[in-house]
Amino acid sequence: MASEPPQGGVLPLGAAIETRQLTKTYKSRALGKINVVDHLDLQVEEGEIFGFLGPNGAGKTTTIKMLLGIIYPSAGEGYVLGREIGDMDVHRVISYLPERPYYYEHMTGMEILKFYGALFGINDKDKFQRLLEKVNLAGDATKTISQYSKGMQQRIGLAQSLLNDPKLLFLDEPTGGLDPIAHTEIRDLILQFRDEGRTVFISSHELSEVERICDRVAIINKGKIERQGRLEDLLRGGRIEVIADGLNQGFADTVRAPESTVSFHNGRLIVDMSEEGDVNGLLDGIRDAKGQIISVVPRRRRLEDLFIETISEKKSGGEAA
Amino acid sequence: MGAILSISTTTVGEAIRRRVLLVILMIGVLLISIVPALSVLSARSDLTTTISSMLFVLRIVSVLIAIVLTVYMIPNEIERRTIYTILSKPVQRWQFLVGKYLGAVLALGLMIGLMAGVMLILFYFFKHPPMERMLDLLRQAILYFIEVSLLAAVAIFFSTFVTPLVNFFLSAGVWGVGSLLNPLYDSFANNQGSAPIIRGMAKFVTSILPNFSNYDVKNPIINPGVTIQNETTYYLGTAGYGLLYITILIIAGILIFDRREV
Repeated sequence: MASEPPQGGVLPLGAAIETRQLTKTYKSRALGKINVVDHLDLQVEEGEIFGFLGPNGAGKTTTIKMLLGIIYPSAGEGYVLGREIGDMDVHRVISYLPERPYYYEHMTGMEILKFYGALFGINDKDKFQRLLEKVNLAGDATKTISQYSKGMQQRIGLAQSLLNDPKLLFLDEPTGGLDPIAHTEIRDLILQFRDEGRTVFISSHELSEVERICDRVAIINKGKIERQGRLEDLLRGGRIEVIADGLNQGFADTVRAPESTVSFHNGRLIVDMSEEGDVNGLLDGIRDAKGQIISVVPRRRRLEDLFIETISEKKSGGEAA
Repeated sequence: MGAILSISTTTVGEAIRRRVLLVILMIGVLLISIVPALSVLSARSDLTTTISSMLFVLRIVSVLIAIVLTVYMIPNEIERRTIYTILSKPVQRWQFLVGKYLGAVLALGLMIGLMAGVMLILFYFFKHPPMERMLDLLRQAILYFIEVSLLAAVAIFFSTFVTPLVNFFLSAGVWGVGSLLNPLYDSFANNQGSAPIIRGMAKFVTSILPNFSNYDVKNPIINPGVTIQNETTYYLGTAGYGLLYITILIIAGILIFDRREV
């Protein structure tokens, strides 16, 4: 029988995934007990594309495997679509595309869909054909997997992951090792999934891809969530760089502020300031001081900046400790 | 049931394409094919040598195929991560394991069937034996099939908790000792002259390990003087014995695999 939603607290409305203090501990002879996933509190809402980011060995794939019920948590709770992880009823409405998937090489694209379809009790040739068309493999349906390129294998992987019309897709490094054209194709498919109302959980290193398609992200490092939230909130606080010429040291001294970086050399002033700072006031001041504005360049904060900042903070914090 | 069937048919498809298995199979077919020609060199009865050699090749090659096929079956699925895609579908671990086992048995059936077919055809054309002998050979081939099905269950059981290399030696060891259980029992467990501790150990080993020597009835086939009393009971009993062991081993394998981290 399916398990009930968590007691002692109602599962948030619209939560596709929720974990509470989810932990996975491995024992190593050399290192003793290691928390590969460490008291993870994660929340993914229905209908969003959620990016799960982290450096190698951060615990991303282990988390996914726990959410899929492939490995067992050491502690904590996890719920997928309102049911406890590992519940077989949930497996009917979720799907998973592993990192660098392997498919039986002797099978054709169509046979792959038949095989995975049979695991759901689906034997609908029209559906298989539609899925092959959706991932642009209709013309290659009779080729064996050994004849498929990496991109084609990834696309047949996506096709198999859509066999059961999943409400929630787990994609582990979906664009890893693909060429730019294959990247674009996979990205378009993922965006299409969201338009169809599906929830997509992506684990990835491709930060620019994640930034383009994800609604929310979480950054995990050494098994712990370091940041989690909407991308627009996390990336708020961009910078503006102002470059001006024909100024003197005295003026440069007046624009120094704690949240700005100011450099002055041979009459050229370079100010790097928060976009929330008084940019217009600075520009007026430059004009009043008879300086010449060379450029005003807004620099949006990127996910890569946030990621590096998060991981570096952790490293320096760890070293300080 | 659909999931088990699908996993088992895919396993057969994979198994019959594995080059190492095909090479072993081809060597087996080749050896069986040259036995009738070589047997004329023997000083013993031509027919006896031919039957004995053909059955020996059939048994050894079948056992080798069974071990090589099954020791890598589960570890390969984990290493290539195909198991993750399968277990993320509504497939229970026990269904996966049973599907893999049944696939292995089907593949073994095909391979033994091919070798046995070649053996019977060549035997018939070269030696023109009476039909009764042909049926004896067919029965022996079926017993070997049950034997390797049991051996596949042993290997699948071990593959849920040991590495393929260790599994290879463990499974081969179990088969080796299991093939000598009858003489082992007579020499030690049933011998009042043996030390009590040796007798106890021998009794323990002979009660735990499956008795593979039950499946080798070559003697009554090559020596018409030796007969099996009540053949039907013997064959049914041996098949039932194998089925019981297979069930126990697969259930034990499921219990271990269900708790294993993959």
